Amino acid sequence: MATKDTLFRSASMSLTQLYISNEIGREVVSALGELGVTQFRDLNSETSAFQRTFTKEIRRLDNIERQLRYFKSQMEKANIEMRSHWDFDEDMLAAPQAAEIDELADRSEQLEQRVKNLNESYETLKKREMELTEWRWVLKEAGSFFDRAHGQTDDIRQSLDDDDAPLLRNAEAEEGRRPNGDVGQQQQSFAVMNIGFVSGVIPRERLAAFERILWRTLRGNLYMNQSEIPEVIINPEDNEEVRKNVFVIFAHGKEIIAKIRKISESLGADLYNVDENSDLRRDQIHEVNTRLSDLASVLRNTKNTLDAELTQIARSLAAWLIVIKKEKAVYNALNMCSYDQARKTLIAEAWCPTNSLPQIRATLQDVNDRAGLSVPTIVNQIKTNKTPPTYNKTNKFTEGFQTIINAYGTAKYQEVNPGLYTIVTFPFLFAVMFGDFGHGFLMFMAACAMIYWEKPLSRSKQDELFSMAFYGRYIMLMMGTYSMFTGLIYNDVFSKGFTAFESAWEYPEDGRPEVTAHLKGSYRYPFGIDWAWHGSDNDLLFSNSFKMKLSILMGWCHMTYALMFSLTNARHFKSKIDIWGNFVPGLLFFQAIFGYLTFTIVYKWSVDWYAEGRNPPSLLNMLIQMFLSPGTVAEGDQLYPGQATVQVLLVLIAVINVPILLLLKPLYLRWEHNRTAAKGYRGIGDTSHVTHALDDDDDEEGDTRHMNGRPSTDTDEGAMITENIHEEEGEEFEFSEVMIHQTIHTIEFCLNCVSHTASYLRLWALSLAHQQLSVVLWNMTLGNAFTMSGGLQIVMLVVTFAMWFVLTIAVLCVMEGTSAMLHSLRLHWVEAMSKHFIGEGIPFEPFSFKLLLEEDPVD
Amino acid sequence: MANGWSLLVGFVVIVALSAAAYFFSPKGENQTIWRSTLILSFASCYIMWAITFLAQWHPLIEPKMSKLRPGYPGGS
Repeated sequence: MATKDTLFRSASMSLTQLYISNEIGREVVSALGELGVTQFRDLNSETSAFQRTFTKEIRRLDNIERQLRYFKSQMEKANIEMRSHWDFDEDMLAAPQAAEIDELADRSEQLEQRVKNLNESYETLKKREMELTEWRWVLKEAGSFFDRAHGQTDDIRQSLDDDDAPLLRNAEAEEGRRPNGDVGQQQQSFAVMNIGFVSGVIPRERLAAFERILWRTLRGNLYMNQSEIPEVIINPEDNEEVRKNVFVIFAHGKEIIAKIRKISESLGADLYNVDENSDLRRDQIHEVNTRLSDLASVLRNTKNTLDAELTQIARSLAAWLIVIKKEKAVYNALNMCSYDQARKTLIAEAWCPTNSLPQIRATLQDVNDRAGLSVPTIVNQIKTNKTPPTYNKTNKFTEGFQTIINAYGTAKYQEVNPGLYTIVTFPFLFAVMFGDFGHGFLMFMAACAMIYWEKPLSRSKQDELFSMAFYGRYIMLMMGTYSMFTGLIYNDVFSKGFTAFESAWEYPEDGRPEVTAHLKGSYRYPFGIDWAWHGSDNDLLFSNSFKMKLSILMGWCHMTYALMFSLTNARHFKSKIDIWGNFVPGLLFFQAIFGYLTFTIVYKWSVDWYAEGRNPPSLLNMLIQMFLSPGTVAEGDQLYPGQATVQVLLVLIAVINVPILLLLKPLYLRWEHNRTAAKGYRGIGDTSHVTHALDDDDDEEGDTRHMNGRPSTDTDEGAMITENIHEEEGEEFEFSEVMIHQTIHTIEFCLNCVSHTASYLRLWALSLAHQQLSVVLWNMTLGNAFTMSGGLQIVMLVVTFAMWFVLTIAVLCVMEGTSAMLHSLRLHWVEAMSKHFIGEGIPFEPFSFKLLLEEDPVD
Repeated sequence: MANGWSLLVGFVVIVALSAAAYFFSPKGENQTIWRSTLILSFASCYIMWAITFLAQWHPLIEPKMSKLRPGYPGGS
């Protein structure tokens, strides 16, 4: 089985059992993760996630990961860039020793504490700062209220005589009536008068509600003053900007003051003490200012310390994240292994490519040597009737193409992989629709640029559309290359033609401007379409007929090619009945109708009808008449002598092959089943009994061993069954099911021969549309500018060139390109792959750190 | 220069190129990809070229121009 693995088939896989000494289990699995070619099977599928052996370790790692993510979020908050994981050496990201993990755990614990403390104190300080700022505003604003109030005492006195003067004013006036201009005395007077006041700040949007509520509850017995704080206050808890107002409320009586306090607190206002006395107030302001400046310096220090700490962490955070991620993956993999308590061994079962086995053995040996263990790790191939997973090893060139195929379905283990031929056929069919040298060249250049700057681009952040184009850069490269070729064949470069060779046509000089060209002789234009057709009146007539036939012929080639792989598959799986019951009748049916059609197309082209003095017959009518009235060909419609007989024969072949396709395989399978049943055999697949072929040296100890808590009862050979592999894979033979399946297949195949051939006409439609669109674009923009003259032409040339170029890129390259790509995709998935693709495979998902980090990047 | 025999000549050239691609593909794990891609490309390109050549071999219609200036060979 040591054949080379190629993209033609999926790699041959082996199920292996690994007996790993308990002490080095972690190291072994981690080495396998670096290697990335093994897929562990879950041997404890009955056990829930909490009951597994290494749940504790995983919890611990989860905690570390959470701490690391906390650092990351803190860094984002502080706008500190994390050092990219690309900047680290390979060995820094390698799986670490257990001790290093412990160290990392301690360290991140400490750092988390530190960062948390710093953060907390920073927030407290910030809050303190906000309070002080608010207080300063209150002092300032409230102070001006007081000053104003005292300045107005004279006015208030005059209002004394009014009956309806409010209570407060009255009282104030009463107080003001004292013949005393002394400000200090007046300030004392509020307290004397039993007028209290409440001052504070409140968010601006709540102010209206606040006022209303106060007014209603106190029935108007208050005097309120408020003013806006011009600066924005930032709430440190959620970093939100709040606009606030300062208010001072004067009211009479202790109870009312208490009520006001309660109301304002419940509405989210913050109350601050302000002294009535203006000297005291000045002192207060002064004190607040000093405290604020002290606080600011402390804040700056704290912030600096925090930033320094975070910057320090940022330098190695990516590496830590990767290390933890790897470690977690290792323990998750270890959880899939079964654990033998008595012998202190871990038993793992894994799928791996047979060709990688030596590599795996070498790696394990290496780990063993490094650990200095005398007990070797045993790698044991086991035979199984389980379906191995499908693994097609790709490189960066083939990856995109294989993804196209995998998007449709996973190929059956070792069947022909359509990914190999897709490398050519997919971009080629695209190019048939996209055929224009100029557009192809633009696409080619774009792909080249993406390949040239592959590394920097793959490491940078990309938006969705670009990342898709970037992923398919090699597909684009091939598409561009073939588009240039088909562009040369169609002789189209931005809708104009090349005149590389001498034309086979000559336009006579007489009778111009309206002339019809004639052939120069037996010379024909050697490569692509003659440029004499460009700009002619019946250009479309010619390219229409040409492209229609081209697409039929291309479709026939593609489908026949794909159909041949069903032969390859049948031979590989050694299923003769699939050759004689599926492939041969299918092929004959298809060729009898559509093979014949392609033959007549080529034949009609190769006959010089006018030289023979005959009219070229219509092929469409021929095909219809072949079925409607077999055996008769009208005199004028004959392609070649003996046509009627050949066509009758072909129709017969096609008709006979339908029942063969329908019945041969089910009947054969039934016969075979009955024969084996008569000989007394039972179905295949129920005799599998997998025992590990361990050389008996360590089998003598104890009979009853416990595997996953289940006693293994099979003691005669000392063999253990790590997992019951008794799931039946060979199913019961049921004739009706086989028959139904084959009937569906037959109907589908015959109808699809017709509909799929018709489906290839999309090549015709899209390539015509693409060509016409680019002609129209040229004529509307640059073509117009060329007809002008003088200075206007110069201006218009610049303007229309810009328009033409932008539209060429946006519409003709991007939009048309996408649509042609989707059509080509469909031709592969439906028309080609349905001819041979079996599918139903299980994708190979190796345990690989590289894949893990690609799927879930740390930065 | 170019007549019906070109189809055969082209075929021979393509077969020769394919053979060269088969034998001179770089060895290693990507040999199959090289071989398959090159040979399939040659074949596809040949088919496309041959179809185009065949379509113009015995033309059934002639190009017509309604606005051709004197002395101008046509095409655009």
